[in-house]
Amino acid sequence: MTRLRLPHPETVAAALLAAIAGVPLLAVAWLALAAGADVAAWQRVLADPQWPQALALSLATGTASTVLSVALAAWLLSRLFATAHWQAAVRVLAPMLAVPHVAMAIGLVLLLAPSGWILRAFSPWATGLDAPPAWPTTQDPWGLGLVLALVAKEVPFLLWAAASQLQRGDAGARWARELQVAQSLGYTRAAAWWRVVWPQLAPRLAAPILAVAAYGLTVVDVALVIGPGSPPTAAVLAWQWLLDADEAFNAQGAAAAWMLALAGAALVGLAWRLRRRPARRARWSDGRRGAEAPTLSRCRKVASEVFARHAWPAGYLAVMAALAVASVAGNWPFPAFWPERWSLAGWRAAADHAGTIGFTLGLALAAAVAALAWAVMWLEAAPARWDTWMRPLAYLTLALPALLWVVGLHRLALAAGLDGSATGLWLAHTLAVLPYALIALSPSYLGFDARYRHLAETLGHRRAAFLLRVKWPLLRAGLASTLAVGFAVSVAQYLPTQFIGAGRHPTVTTEAVALAAGGQRALLAATAWVQWLLPVIVFALAAWWGRPRRFAARGGR
Amino acid sequence: MTLSLDVRHLSVDGRTLVRDLRITVPPGSVHTLMGPSGCGKSTLLAAVCGIAAPAVRLEGSVTLDGRPIDHLPTPQRGVGILFQDDLLFAHMTVRENLLFALPAGPRPAREAAVAQALRDLELEAFGAADPATLSGGQRARVALMRALLARPRALLLDEPLARLDADLRQRLRIQLFTTLRQHGIPALLVTHDAQDVADAARLTRWVEVGA
Repeated sequence: MTRLRLPHPETVAAALLAAIAGVPLLAVAWLALAAGADVAAWQRVLADPQWPQALALSLATGTASTVLSVALAAWLLSRLFATAHWQAAVRVLAPMLAVPHVAMAIGLVLLLAPSGWILRAFSPWATGLDAPPAWPTTQDPWGLGLVLALVAKEVPFLLWAAASQLQRGDAGARWARELQVAQSLGYTRAAAWWRVVWPQLAPRLAAPILAVAAYGLTVVDVALVIGPGSPPTAAVLAWQWLLDADEAFNAQGAAAAWMLALAGAALVGLAWRLRRRPARRARWSDGRRGAEAPTLSRCRKVASEVFARHAWPAGYLAVMAALAVASVAGNWPFPAFWPERWSLAGWRAAADHAGTIGFTLGLALAAAVAALAWAVMWLEAAPARWDTWMRPLAYLTLALPALLWVVGLHRLALAAGLDGSATGLWLAHTLAVLPYALIALSPSYLGFDARYRHLAETLGHRRAAFLLRVKWPLLRAGLASTLAVGFAVSVAQYLPTQFIGAGRHPTVTTEAVALAAGGQRALLAATAWVQWLLPVIVFALAAWWGRPRRFAARGGR
Repeated sequence: MTLSLDVRHLSVDGRTLVRDLRITVPPGSVHTLMGPSGCGKSTLLAAVCGIAAPAVRLEGSVTLDGRPIDHLPTPQRGVGILFQDDLLFAHMTVRENLLFALPAGPRPAREAAVAQALRDLELEAFGAADPATLSGGQRARVALMRALLARPRALLLDEPLARLDADLRQRLRIQLFTTLRQHGIPALLVTHDAQDVADAARLTRWVEVGA
């Protein structure tokens, strides 16, 4: 008689975890696919007079913001990695990441608008303006403001994704020394970076870059604040159709979201093909060392170093300062640089929404904790082969346009009776946070030296004791920052909150977007600040909790 | 080329590692540096090469044929370095790793030089291979060849043989020292292996144990 072999408990756990995340993810993807099956809706989208221009705008702004973000992030890395400033640069990423996209867009509007701080600084003494001009500096018809807002936000995200690779003990340290070897072979630092480190780092950034591209092509909340209005981007147009009370328009919105997704996929496919050109590979070993002309390059070097180290933090400080001043501004006629009267009315009005703030906090914490718990258990239990096929599934929420995603999500919520419920909202936010939790945690978790576990076993410790007393304490920084990232992602969610919450559960983000359309500048700025403060507090707590242990000096106790 | 070091003071974050060290390495010679872990041997090599961390301070001079090089950026010093890890670039084939070291120039000439290098290494069949598929000894030889193809004026060897087994280490050591002598390249070798010192004395013209 053959004995029944029970599967290993770890395999059972991994299968359960795969089902918990995989089933809803696949269901959402399937329902999103099904939503686009209405041929008449596709025809109506194609016949819409606004559509061609809106689609062109989306493709242009999405492509421009992605290309610029990747190029700038790569350039900043080339200047900062393995230098004395690298650790400081990594430290300032957390507060920048904590700034939600919408808060950044609102801050940029307050800086760049015709009545914004920048023009006030130069008026009337330089511009001669006594009244705000009718310049399209924000919500411009070309989408430049939208591109700027996206680049401002995506560069720190890409730097953070790169830093999580470059901080790894194995790859990061090796690349730092390869950079030194290349320099000892005669290459300038820049030439060595582009030939040696970047080609090895870039493939590992594929998922974050794809996420940036998908977000840039289909962003709605930021486009509503700072994007073009007439016509809007294709994503905003589709969003408007999806929100319409008429079901025919809803189907049109789903078809538009699909069209946008396919256009985006075509662009990404094209970029992928270009990336694999043999000519690009030949450049790595062409022997050109790069040149450093003595005098001009010295000035340029200093300027670029100052820019690399300070431009982004300074830009963020300017945006946050603009939000802070606007939040306490009473009467503020143009072109006065400071308000004539200061007022806390904006903050008082924001405080009236304490319930919304509390709900946002609770929702984000619940989603971040759930996603972190899933990611930890998955990375702990899943065999490497399973992880390989789970990744594309988990990254679906990043790769699929958010619009398309919420269409499927909404249908699933309706089918499960969770539409408009806090539970449905929590599950939707958890699914959105999941890929970020995996991306954030994987480098440190998978880079953990497996020999520690064997060592603990030989010392007589069980798995649980090893996890609680060795592995998780050693990975505390990674765990804490993953929780903070998840929290920030949840706070910034706009589309799922609006769609799954059915408007019954406002968060600070949905409030901020709603306020952006009105004229309550102080309340808008105060809400944007609150939207930033929530994640920044969590990031600060995570940094404190994840700080390295300080040991007593030699001879101390 | 003669490599000369006149190190009055080498420190990290104000902590003194080396004081009053004078070394002259004639062409083709290997000067071995031995000492306990943490005494500053590798830091000294990094400072000579110009890749030391900003916290490292070198007071003194490093010259090649009497010309100071310590003020120059790393790429202009002409000083190659080999580490314990081979550090072959994982995104390039073996051939591309070697091409990387060659100066820019006409493609056929560069390709011919690499083909010759692969023949010298007896690795003709491995040009298109992923470096990770080579054995430890093969990778170490490719790393050495890569360093030599850049035509360094001096070479710094930071325990490049430490990870190899005794037999292979012996063969590569002889090959390394002989090659350095043939090319007239002065070298500083950090090692914990007394055999390195003995062979350096036997196979090169001059040796001194320092640090």
